[in-house]
Amino acid sequence: MTTIHLKNGHVFDPTNRIYNKKKDIFVQDGKIVKSLKKKADQIINCTDKIIMPGAIDLHTHIGGGKVNIARLMLQEFHNNSDRDYDLTADFVPSTLKTGLQYIGMGYTSCFEPALLPMNARQSHAEMADIPFVDKGGYALLGNDDYLLSMISRGAHQSEINDYVAFILKASQCIGIKVVNAGGINAFKFNQRALDVDEQSIRYKITPRKIVNVLARAVYELGVPHPLHVHCSNLGVPGNFKSTIETIKAAEGLPIHITHIQFHSYGDNGDRKFSSASAEITEYLNKVPNLTCDVGQIMFGQTVTMSGDSMKQHKNHKHAHPKKWLCMDIECDAGCGVVPFKYRDQSFVNALQWAIGLETFLLAEDAEKIFLTTDHPNGGPFTSYPHLIKLLMDKTFRDDLLDRLAVDIKEHTILKDIKREYTLSEIATMTRSAPAKILGLKNKGELSVGSDAYITVYDKKLNDIEEMFAHPSHVIKDGILVVKNSVVQDYIWGKTQVVRPEYDVSIEKKLNKHFKKFNTIGLSNFVISNDEMSEVIGSDVNVNDCLRKRIS
Amino acid sequence: MPKISDSPKYKDIVCPFCSLHCDDIELDVEDNKIFVKSDINESCKKKFEQNNLNSITTISSQLNGKSESFDNAVKQSKKLIKNSNETVILNTSADVNITRELLTSTSKVNGIFDHINSETFLKNIDIYQRKGFMSTSLSEVKNKSDVIVLFSNNILENYPRLVERVLAPDNSFSIKANKKKIYVIGDKKNNIKQNLKKDNRIKYIDFNLRDTSILIESFITKSNETSLKENIFNELLQSINTSKYLTMCWATSEFIKNDNCYNIISAISEYVVSINETSRAACLPLAGNDGDVSNIQTTGWLTGFPSRIKFTGNYFEYDRDLYHANSLIESNKIDLVIYVNSISNKKLVLNNKNKNIIVGHPTTKYNIQPDVFIPCGIPGIDYKGLIFRTDNVVTLPLEAIKIPTHRSAQEILRRLVN
Repeated sequence: MTTIHLKNGHVFDPTNRIYNKKKDIFVQDGKIVKSLKKKADQIINCTDKIIMPGAIDLHTHIGGGKVNIARLMLQEFHNNSDRDYDLTADFVPSTLKTGLQYIGMGYTSCFEPALLPMNARQSHAEMADIPFVDKGGYALLGNDDYLLSMISRGAHQSEINDYVAFILKASQCIGIKVVNAGGINAFKFNQRALDVDEQSIRYKITPRKIVNVLARAVYELGVPHPLHVHCSNLGVPGNFKSTIETIKAAEGLPIHITHIQFHSYGDNGDRKFSSASAEITEYLNKVPNLTCDVGQIMFGQTVTMSGDSMKQHKNHKHAHPKKWLCMDIECDAGCGVVPFKYRDQSFVNALQWAIGLETFLLAEDAEKIFLTTDHPNGGPFTSYPHLIKLLMDKTFRDDLLDRLAVDIKEHTILKDIKREYTLSEIATMTRSAPAKILGLKNKGELSVGSDAYITVYDKKLNDIEEMFAHPSHVIKDGILVVKNSVVQDYIWGKTQVVRPEYDVSIEKKLNKHFKKFNTIGLSNFVISNDEMSEVIGSDVNVNDCLRKRIS
Repeated sequence: MPKISDSPKYKDIVCPFCSLHCDDIELDVEDNKIFVKSDINESCKKKFEQNNLNSITTISSQLNGKSESFDNAVKQSKKLIKNSNETVILNTSADVNITRELLTSTSKVNGIFDHINSETFLKNIDIYQRKGFMSTSLSEVKNKSDVIVLFSNNILENYPRLVERVLAPDNSFSIKANKKKIYVIGDKKNNIKQNLKKDNRIKYIDFNLRDTSILIESFITKSNETSLKENIFNELLQSINTSKYLTMCWATSEFIKNDNCYNIISAISEYVVSINETSRAACLPLAGNDGDVSNIQTTGWLTGFPSRIKFTGNYFEYDRDLYHANSLIESNKIDLVIYVNSISNKKLVLNNKNKNIIVGHPTTKYNIQPDVFIPCGIPGIDYKGLIFRTDNVVTLPLEAIKIPTHRSAQEILRRLVN
């Protein structure tokens, strides 16, 4: 394997508290090493360069049934007139384009946040065809009939823990996500809304209870990533209260609230729609064990895709263009795909844009908030460089606010916020913090012995958006995959998973359940490591749990 | 006679042959021959056991119907590809991994890629490309659907275990299975003949499927404009209106010959969408048995389109009309077709005006001798693989249960184009 010497770069490595320090980085055999015994095969002069670990996107919809439905639904947005190899739209890129665009922006790991266990094989096969980056998925629970019936009959927490650990293994995932806890299931029984303390008609349990048992399961199993929660009442004015109640449901255990922007709405003012970013961030700043990603919206055409079929069915009336699909899936979950155009002429959309930015800027600790657009729900991941500029440049931000087609200045505190993110904070929120919260060992950092996932930016570029859009060099697994902003030979990443312990007797119970009620057997539900590498096409990397399971 | 052991060597094997892909097959393999031990439909059993025929294992590559070595068949194929100005690679049955290889191969020969059933499956995709769609999957139908309306003249011929495994199961999780109501609408005589088990939950209604749109309109207006007797229509309407979770199920291939095919499936879909304003209902369109769904999904994530793609250098484009393989073949607009037929052995209709290569199931049938025939192994019998079930949700693992006697389609394709 070639050796690489990044010479004299300005290094940002928050894990090691290194911020803008002149340093050399050496790479050998896929790892960062202290020094090289002989002259490196490739020496890159980094005098005018910024060096960071490879970026990590902890919430991006890049693989699975709903993504493919969107690709096929919206083919008119794939641009046939442009003579590039791959013409798929940025908000529904092909797997090939997904990998090319991520690596071209210096991202080396991406995580699909809504992997339905019943659809896991497809998600992994699809993600296996994304070049360059490492992938991973959060298994969706909390709307599956099996778990809900367990909770409903008062099953012991340890039995639930066994089930959760089994699902992580069977679906080859790194975390657990719950979407509109109980709501997707309730929709199948024709319930159209389910608030945090409302009982579902079928199971007579509340979203609070579901979030509580799942947060506890994830914690007790020692899974590094806290329960990843898409709260109840997505998009509903006044929903910040149910967001706070959902956080409380974890009873102090670690919890990650995803695309919090969509859950930070008040219902004040003439239009009964207002920002509650202050209330939400006040909570975020004071509550330990709470993290979030933002789900910033960007103006323009995109497509919303979610397991939240309850809300997506309601939202289909806003589809742009006027087409959509909702699906009930295998007593497991659901999905809804609704194309949408965020318009700056729309008061609601403009305020959503401001709420997202307020949330970023009011959050005090860059380790607790992550940079996402909930790709593609708020906008495509390719808009990250633009978003970074919005966070780092107040003048730019204020100019855009002034230029919005609808005047929202009386409804947002955005202009009063003086804060500008620093490069160190950007490095934290896109590298060290996501690696830490996902439990990715040796990633998101530049320590000696770490995996050589490195991004080099050109400091000479005056425009920060341009700089983050086109890093000059990217190293993945010790291989220079982007050189002078041009993608080199293809490589293929691994699938990152965790494997907490469980009592295998749960498999007997599940086997019985599958035989009686499912349309596939348990043995064909489980994806083995061999199947991952030999048939699906992606090797698995097992990450450590934080500790041995508690109960 | 080989000895068949009492306990099967293989359990929970996935059947690759119809798009239900039942995964409860138990079988034994002795002397590289398969013996199905599960008590399943004879036609399903036959599909496995036909792979024991000596002709399958002994068949070699052929040039114009005459046996030839594999190397010579590859050599001749490469020559045909080199001399071709416009090559079509037509997926006539493949799993996910072969479809991946098909796209790579098409890009290498600057060819056109399509699936033999694209005309049918594009009609289903049309619905959600143009309007709203509510769909469901097999386990939801099994466990939640209290009323099922199935439009079909011969659906059980193509999906032999649909009734026992999905529509009229012994157990349902959320409802009482014995209270389910299943209406099979179509050719009553044929449908009764096909469904051997008597089941009081199933009612067969004789109906000309061509008039399905009128029936749907009658449901909406609550006024019978069809040839159905009033009492039958009223019972059907009553069941639909009182259902908690209605499923409307069809196979578009049964409507495709009607000039109003899209209107029919669109009418069903719109009706289902409207029911969901106040109650719950969903569509379950059944896919073809030639790896249709695996083709749609794999091609979808790799290119953004379901089929009908032309590769040129480092560029590809989709054109639904221009790159419709069947139409190109019929109109003599291409000079070489490579059929890749790894699962099904349905008869392929070749055109003698162009050159034909078949990489196929050893018992593939055809109307005229192809220029080259190269037998390949079958995913799910000879090789491991991945295949999508009819509902587009569940992907199942295909096992290698025999020692293969033929190369995999992927290996053959790589030899042809590299």
